[in-house]
Amino acid sequence: MFGYIRPALDRLNQEEKDAYQSVYCGLCHALGRRHGWLARMTLQYDFTFLAIVLAAGEREDRLCCLRCPVHPLRKPRTCVAGSQMDAAADQSMILTWHKLSDDVDDHGFFTGLPFRMVRRLFQGAYRRAAAAEPEFDAQAREGLARLRELEEAGSPQLDRAADAFAGILACAAQAVSKEGDRRALCQLLYHLGRWIYLMDAWDDLDDDRRKGRYNALDARFAGRVRDNRDYLETTATHSLRLAGSAAELLKLGGWKPIVENILYIGLPRVQSAVLDGRWKEMRDNKEKAK
Amino acid sequence: MRDPYEVLGVSPDADDNEIKKAYRELARKYHPDNYQNNPLADLAEEKMKEINEAYDAITRSRAGGGSSYGGGTASQGQSGYGYGSSYQQQRQSAGGVFAQARQAVSRGDLEGAERLLQGVSRNGEWYFLMGSIAYRRGWLDEARQNYQIAVQMEPGNMEYRQAFSMMQQGGYGYQPNMTGAQCDGLDCCTTLMCMNCLCGGCR
Repeated sequence: MFGYIRPALDRLNQEEKDAYQSVYCGLCHALGRRHGWLARMTLQYDFTFLAIVLAAGEREDRLCCLRCPVHPLRKPRTCVAGSQMDAAADQSMILTWHKLSDDVDDHGFFTGLPFRMVRRLFQGAYRRAAAAEPEFDAQAREGLARLRELEEAGSPQLDRAADAFAGILACAAQAVSKEGDRRALCQLLYHLGRWIYLMDAWDDLDDDRRKGRYNALDARFAGRVRDNRDYLETTATHSLRLAGSAAELLKLGGWKPIVENILYIGLPRVQSAVLDGRWKEMRDNKEKAK
Repeated sequence: MRDPYEVLGVSPDADDNEIKKAYRELARKYHPDNYQNNPLADLAEEKMKEINEAYDAITRSRAGGGSSYGGGTASQGQSGYGYGSSYQQQRQSAGGVFAQARQAVSRGDLEGAERLLQGVSRNGEWYFLMGSIAYRRGWLDEARQNYQIAVQMEPGNMEYRQAFSMMQQGGYGYQPNMTGAQCDGLDCCTTLMCMNCLCGGCR
């Protein structure tokens, strides 16, 4: 998706880093096993977090040792496997597909050609994923259609645009059976989704302006987005806090320090990097370091 | 009832200080202030009750030597931290529609509350309630705008001002003491003061 949801690795101990890595690897293997090697390319940090909060609730994950196809010479690593990892992999595939469709629609016939080709490559994967997670797919369709309507109307209603996207992520919580846990996870994912939407809108501001595309922040602040940086920062932080207060109500077991690290340190860091315009630099540096 | 030591996340051999510390940390985390107007306030309240009961059970069994902690009748007020009714029992103002809308919001029936408010003349309370509905949905921008209008229309109303001020602060939040480089209040201030001196000195 966007890759904003990541931990502050320097504040995790080795054991916690390994645990995080095992979910990242497990998700990659789940994508590969279910949707083919090409699907592995679509792996994003955001879904690692989703897989963690989904797997933490269910306690049926198991560990296995698998070799990484990107680093075949490295020792095989521990990977988490289980139905929750598969669900996260399918949901990731569904969103990737809809994002590609969005790109196709955004472009004309010729410029959209590469996007259509890539989309075709994932057609089979998407169909399988949508068949396994029909509710998530329906929510994604509905949310993205609503987003498109708001875009076409040039709507200044920032919350509604963010809601259309956040609702998709929150839908992943429906898999949780216990009512209280489901509500807490729903709020956690909703506010993460809202936060991602806000960060992405700020990040894309210049790009959207150049291409004459709708940008929810531009519409909301009537072109004076940068003057309203503090306002945006406050409301984004508010979402992170609501996500945090929801996470505290979930039984996360051993995943707790990682989830807390992401919510209380990782995301505020990403937020200030995005708002300061340092995000692309930070992301690329991290990818090199990995 | 769950094992009170498990609830507080301490071992049964922990000394009184450790137990108190664990209790305080949990009470800080689930404090009603952190869940004001939060749709999950009821879950936090349950959690708080469980923690208070566990703490009471442990202190009682340690003080009296009695080992039973199954009573579970301890009132939550006893331990100092609790969900008081002060902020939940909000002022019921005139106008039956507003009172009904308030109840609908606290039940979580947001569509119902919105329907009730449709066609009602817009005063400060109307905007406040629309703000509360938006807040419950997670629409924080809309909530803030509505609270602001409510405050502008009735500047003397503390409830509206409090709600608006919460939005200006970006909500309330619990910040855990994460391991690693910690920065307590004093350190932060001292660092800032030192940096300030440096900046001033360079001019």
